Amino acid sequence: MLKGNIAIAKAALKCGCSCYFGYPITPQTEIGEYLSSEMQEKNLAFVCAESELAAINMALGAASSGAKVMVSSSSCAISLMQETLSYASSDEIPFVLINIMRAGPGQGYIFPSQADYNQSTIGGGNGDYRIITLSPSTVQECIDLTYRAFYLSQKYRNPAILLADGLLGQMAQGVILKENPYPEIDNSSWILNGAKNRPARKICSLEPNQEKLNSHIEKLFKKYKTIEEKEVLYEEYLCNDADIILTAFGTMGRYSKAICNYYRKNGVKMGLFRPITLYPFPNKRLNELSQKTKFFIDIEMNMGQMLKDVKLALAKDATCKFIKKPIGDWSGQEETIAEIDEILKEKYANNI
Amino acid sequence: MQTIFETPKTIKENSRFSFCPGCDHGVAIKLVAQVLDELGLQENTILVASSGCSVNLYDYLELDCIEAPHGRACAVATGIKRAHKVQGKEKFVFTYQGDGDFASIGLGESLHSALRGENITAICINNTNFGMTGGQMGPTSVLGQITSTSPQGRNKETHGFPIKTAEHIALCDGTSFSARVALFDVKNILKAKNAIKKAFEYQKQGLGFSFVEILASCPTNWRLSPLESHNKIENELTKTYPLGIFKDIKND
Ligand code: SF4
Repeated sequence: MLKGNIAIAKAALKCGCSCYFGYPITPQTEIGEYLSSEMQEKNLAFVCAESELAAINMALGAASSGAKVMVSSSSCAISLMQETLSYASSDEIPFVLINIMRAGPGQGYIFPSQADYNQSTIGGGNGDYRIITLSPSTVQECIDLTYRAFYLSQKYRNPAILLADGLLGQMAQGVILKENPYPEIDNSSWILNGAKNRPARKICSLEPNQEKLNSHIEKLFKKYKTIEEKEVLYEEYLCNDADIILTAFGTMGRYSKAICNYYRKNGVKMGLFRPITLYPFPNKRLNELSQKTKFFIDIEMNMGQMLKDVKLALAKDATCKFIKKPIGDWSGQEETIAEIDEILKEKYANNI
Repeated sequence: MQTIFETPKTIKENSRFSFCPGCDHGVAIKLVAQVLDELGLQENTILVASSGCSVNLYDYLELDCIEAPHGRACAVATGIKRAHKVQGKEKFVFTYQGDGDFASIGLGESLHSALRGENITAICINNTNFGMTGGQMGPTSVLGQITSTSPQGRNKETHGFPIKTAEHIALCDGTSFSARVALFDVKNILKAKNAIKKAFEYQKQGLGFSFVEILASCPTNWRLSPLESHNKIENELTKTYPLGIFKDIKND
């Protein structure tokens, strides 16, 4: 049995993370607490930074050496890091950022929430860039996707975010801590380790030449296109014969699976589509599903952030309803079921 | 024939500084390059460049270099130093920043790097204004100084007091060396070079955070000739910013 936060920390160490920079914020502080002793014992770099600004910039520097680097934080503090995410994307510097989400806006509170979908997939930094975003729904996936976040980040030389909610960070589940399944990526062509027997290298985002800046951005977007073609992950549950498909990510995905089971028992053909990569978003597969199934219900613990991506992906003649799960409310499914019943009553009355 | 002067090996061939005429940045960079040559550090160094007039320093120096977001140079340098260390490699890491970068927007990162005794070196060019954006008042502008955002002169009532950076850094227990130098005559240029050398050597010896603040001219924004600028540093600025060594761990 492992708590999500500890599982993430253990997975990071297992796949060779040698530098961690952090600043305390609930509900993810245990990641830093756990790593502080583990990394010291192993002679790895653990720095209690003076702020989130400092932490993410230490990560920028450390990752330029080729080391595997991780920073963990939560929502409002991730806001402070947006500038450096923009720099790192332009600089093509890979590192992993863990966001154990809490409720916002502003200070909000430590209630579990999924309100950083936009922050993560659209970003709050300046300029044209994208951040790979992986969304676990179980503690086991916290482990598997931490491995994958390191791998994708290194492979594409881009920051990657593991976007988990507070409940997952705090929840304990039985897991298997297997070995990191991904190969090592050769970074010898770009890292900074001293200009010995080769010309000096520079890593910078400043580009005063208009043409060069344009082609740099084009190059980044060619890379993003490859990511969108190759790295999409999702889970489908009972979608094949479904009349109604729920869409949900993270812990709400797990929650919605139980709801599917309830309706299946009651003779309603319901399925679940759960994006695992939020960027790249699985719009192609969702569009395919909507060629057959015409009715979707999106469930999120926010005001409907993924909803716009779901709607964009669906065929024009498909309908998508939205259920907002109140932040921090993880208890029973009765209220959600009551809301779905209402939606279904209307659907069958109008014969949608 | 005897060679009296050579361009330091650390300066890129055929590079031309783009600084304004009479700007002290060029002298400071040359000193840094000379010291790196003399200590044989060029091939083992990683430079952290910053935002400001020295933003494209990597175009002048034959060093591996990364650009830090504005003010974050010491944090970036911390990450670089630590990451190489865990890979079993000691790299020489230094930042080159303006006063706006080091002591205004980046003061938190700068002070905490000194407090942690981070084994890096920071060079801070103090020309008492934000040069690159056209000479606005900064935390280092002296009382009475006229800038584009203090047209009546800096006054303590509304603008507060200038920051004495080298003295503040000297107060941090993790600091091995902190000095303020100037470049207005040959004697002081040599002193500046010695200070930079000491700061670099202390990092090589693993003694902690080393720091050199260089009082430098900004003739363009001061609206003075290069000579008048140097006179101003010698006769006026050194009153607020006395030259000297404020901390030397070997003499304490
Ligand atoms: S603006 Fe001032 S500091 Fe900047 S290059 Fe010109 S003289 Fe030098």
